Amino acid sequence: MSRLGRAAAAAGAAAARGAVRVVPAARRDWAEAVWAEAHEVPAGWPRLAWRAGGLRLMAKEAQMVRRIGILVLFAGAAGAAAWGAWPDSPVSHGAAVQGGIIITLTLLAGLPLLTRWLLGPPDSRAARWLRAGFYAAILAVMPAQAAIGLFVGAVPRGGIDRHTFDVFQGPGVPGSSSGGPDWGGEIGILFITACYVAVILALTARRTPVAPATLAIGTGAGLMVGMAMYTLAPLGLNTRYSTRPWLHGSAADPFVALFWILLFGAPLIVGAIAGRRCYVPDDPGQASVARAWQGVTAGLMSGGVGAVFVTVSGTGTTALLLRSAWVRDWLYHGQHLTASAVYGRELYAGQDVASYILLLIGFPFIGLMMGLIGAGVANGTSPRAKAGELTAPSGG
Amino acid sequence: MGSRTEFSPQTLSVLAALCGQPSAWQHGYALARQTGLKSGTLYPILIRLADRGLVEACWQEEPVPGRPRRHLYRLTPDGLASATAAVATAALAEAELASTQARQGARLRRGRGVAAPAVP
Repeated sequence: MSRLGRAAAAAGAAAARGAVRVVPAARRDWAEAVWAEAHEVPAGWPRLAWRAGGLRLMAKEAQMVRRIGILVLFAGAAGAAAWGAWPDSPVSHGAAVQGGIIITLTLLAGLPLLTRWLLGPPDSRAARWLRAGFYAAILAVMPAQAAIGLFVGAVPRGGIDRHTFDVFQGPGVPGSSSGGPDWGGEIGILFITACYVAVILALTARRTPVAPATLAIGTGAGLMVGMAMYTLAPLGLNTRYSTRPWLHGSAADPFVALFWILLFGAPLIVGAIAGRRCYVPDDPGQASVARAWQGVTAGLMSGGVGAVFVTVSGTGTTALLLRSAWVRDWLYHGQHLTASAVYGRELYAGQDVASYILLLIGFPFIGLMMGLIGAGVANGTSPRAKAGELTAPSGG
Repeated sequence: MGSRTEFSPQTLSVLAALCGQPSAWQHGYALARQTGLKSGTLYPILIRLADRGLVEACWQEEPVPGRPRRHLYRLTPDGLASATAAVATAALAEAELASTQARQGARLRRGRGVAAPAVP
């Protein structure tokens, strides 16, 4: 082998010895073993092939393929969301929106690293899917929110639309863009986003004693709550125009009843199930805490997932309403609307997107309280659960 | 039906190689030469076997000067029992397969002999 070849081989060996550190501690011996054994393999191609196998082993044990895949997927989705949300026209609130996008993406990228350091990585399929779902939801909302902000802030050049705009938004310079979220609004949204991301990352981390099944049943209940709410309010909570345009009169009543039952009943039931079925220690005090923890988490998930589902669906529907006549016809089927009436409804819906913040704050709180009650019910009624049922991680 | 083992053919070859000298510690490269497996295939198999408690591993105590310590492997008592059974089962399955193929071949040849038209 030439001097250059030897230097390249030495550099490769040094790099690989460093790469051994990315392998989890329990597997590091094996990675080092392949590397040590390479000295016994004849020099040249056989040794190179042996080392290539060692690298493949290290990549597999360090789950590098999955990590790189997740990183590429996140980078692609974040880039697409930022590109879709970035204000490209001279908008008065552009700086706030741009700042919001940058901070949101920084939070999404940085908080998992912090959580991993403090609480460990996710260790169940349910936890990984839940994280992926929340990230997808946040990234999907960004461009929709930006499109709505642009529409709501665009001052019509004249006519009745201008009058409608002035009534709802106050006077503005025709043809210009005004309004939209200011720094205060952006900071509020960022705070709620950060809270949601931090809570989800913490609940799905290895050292948090939440059973994967608790996450799964809480999420399932939350999706039901969210779907019921979205059925009732696909365009925000404003009762004048936008709420349930496709449900007339008493047709909405069964959905309203179903929604209230689900909002309070679902977290209560999943809290009781999670609390009743979780593995509990022998000590009665610790058993109560374990049940309460699972119940509260299930209830919190139920409310949080419901709120996020309806926020993402509602914001997305409103953004599509502004772009697509098909969505408008679908929502307001059977109603003949003038162009001015359409603009009024779109403006209402666009403004009303902000009301989802109330759900994002309220639903998890309701879920948490009802989950706690459910866990209390489970604690009072259930015998000790057998090991193996919804076993919570030890937290070690 | 032939008997089937719970191990893949590659894993069986590693178990067979370790079974050859059950009490001796063996090196990865020696196992690779015996089985014909590459390091990227051999070591994941050894890891899985060690996880199941069928193989034990340790580091060489007195390495050759100038060389790094080597990792050594041998079957545990449980591993030896499993490996012996699996290798025997695999050998039996192979023998059954060979026998079945031989019978089918013979039947095919006989069938052809009967059905073949007489050449005028």
